[in-house]
Amino acid sequence: MIGLDVGSTAAKMVWIENGDIKFRITSTHKWKELVEGIDGDNIVSTGYFRNSVPHRASLTELTAAIYGVRHYFPNAEVIVDIGGQDTKVIDVRNNNFLINDKCSAGTGAFLEFVANYFRIELHELGTMHAKADRIPDINNTCGVFALSEMISQLVGGYTKEEVIAGMHYAFARKISYMIPEARSIVLIGGTVKNEGLVAALRDVLKKEVLIPDEPQIINALGALKYFS
Amino acid sequence: MQKHKLILNIRMPVKKIGITALVPPELIFACGASPFDVNNVIPSSRKYPGNKLCAWTAIWKEMLVKKEIHVDSLIVVAGGDCHNALVDGQKAAMSGINTHFFFYPFDGDPLYMESQLHRLSEFLGGIKRPEKFKEIRELKKQGLIIDTKRCCGKLSSSEAFRTLISFSDLAGDLPGFTRNISTLEETDIDLGNRIALIGVPPIYHDFHEVARSLGLHIVFDELPYEFIRHGGTTIQEMAHDYCNYTFARPLEFRIDFLKKELRRRKVDGVIHYTQFACHHMLEDEIMRKKLDYPMLTIQGDLPGNTPQQIKLRLEAFREMLDRI
Ligand code: SF4
Repeated sequence: MIGLDVGSTAAKMVWIENGDIKFRITSTHKWKELVEGIDGDNIVSTGYFRNSVPHRASLTELTAAIYGVRHYFPNAEVIVDIGGQDTKVIDVRNNNFLINDKCSAGTGAFLEFVANYFRIELHELGTMHAKADRIPDINNTCGVFALSEMISQLVGGYTKEEVIAGMHYAFARKISYMIPEARSIVLIGGTVKNEGLVAALRDVLKKEVLIPDEPQIINALGALKYFS
Repeated sequence: MQKHKLILNIRMPVKKIGITALVPPELIFACGASPFDVNNVIPSSRKYPGNKLCAWTAIWKEMLVKKEIHVDSLIVVAGGDCHNALVDGQKAAMSGINTHFFFYPFDGDPLYMESQLHRLSEFLGGIKRPEKFKEIRELKKQGLIIDTKRCCGKLSSSEAFRTLISFSDLAGDLPGFTRNISTLEETDIDLGNRIALIGVPPIYHDFHEVARSLGLHIVFDELPYEFIRHGGTTIQEMAHDYCNYTFARPLEFRIDFLKKELRRRKVDGVIHYTQFACHHMLEDEIMRKKLDYPMLTIQGDLPGNTPQQIKLRLEAFREMLDRI
């Protein structure tokens, strides 16, 4: 059986081979390539498009996240899933969740928007952040206005690297409003690969931040665990 | 020469009275008029109003001003209920609609309520058909039976909701409404997760069906229950009852009432529906603290089908209830 997570930007497939977790990731529009030759009866799905792909059973990404995260951190208290189009905060202890899907700031889409503006690859945001000496204040909580604020800071003399670091802090603050009191949080989702963002989150949240080895495949793994 | 007595059988047309929230329909009928809840057309209206905070008030205001809803007079429930309605009601009044503002007492004072009902009755030209009070009391008893039936799976939650929400104005047509409720067919529904829907009603016309399809059976609709549980056959009796309209009373009062209802209906979880730009959203954290049930808060904005984002939350909530 395979776990298939088809989200708004990426499709992830997970299976277990001799006790080892194996996976493949591609972009959403290529999801079919992942499951070529696999019968729908052997697929359990999750993610935004969970019901649009062949599947034997499906599960929301919120429940899948809990089961996937437990594999790595059995006592996880709060899970923060920063996805392409939304951010989800799951309070595992209190059976509660919050989703920000109304505003792009605080989602992967905003980071992509910023990377496009600076004409850099998404993965470069993290390395550029590390080179910043100062962190300018970017206070706007709206993605579009945050970008104009970033431009003002560039004009005002901050470097590209510093402005990107400032943006990561603004992003982290936006997410922090959604996070309940807890000793630690687990970060998942492709966006978590951005070390600059993670550094800003650690600094803003002042909590222990745990990240599984492959944060992007957690929901696919969770679907698999839930149904097996 | 035989004198013929000329009998003129001229029927005065029944006045259509727009209402913006709970206004005792028995009093409107007893005054010889017919109530029309301006909210009831909104969920399937697909209207996207221009200048808006809450879509409910913005849409009825726009439809009234543009004469897409025709009413002879309007009663705006303001004090103790909704300040957006108070402002949009005044805008409707400024467009030339004969408007009366109706206030509930925050402290539940029955004498104040009585004075409001007297003023309302005067505005409507006085009580002409007192027999309507009893007729409507009987109908509301039917409403309570419908509510009980859906609570034990004898009626679908969507059908029960559609009927109960119409008790605000009884469709403006007592014989027609009576006929309609007598045609409701009993079923046998396997109740999965028993859900209380608190807050204002969802602006999505298919919400109850969607919830049901995702394994959530709504056994309590907070606002429609207010429509059927209040009544009276005199102004004094009505005053003593309607002064406890929970939405107009302090939160503690409403929460105590909710606790009893949720216990009585053995609910497994609560969905708190909130409307964009509505003050009731501010109550969410208190509801969460005081009501000891798993709770999902959702927020709607414009009318139409239940959007995908809300469906995801409902489904995740169901999975959560299954887990605990
Ligand atoms: S939803 Fe809130 S703001 Fe809108 S009409 Fe109802 S009480 Fe007023």
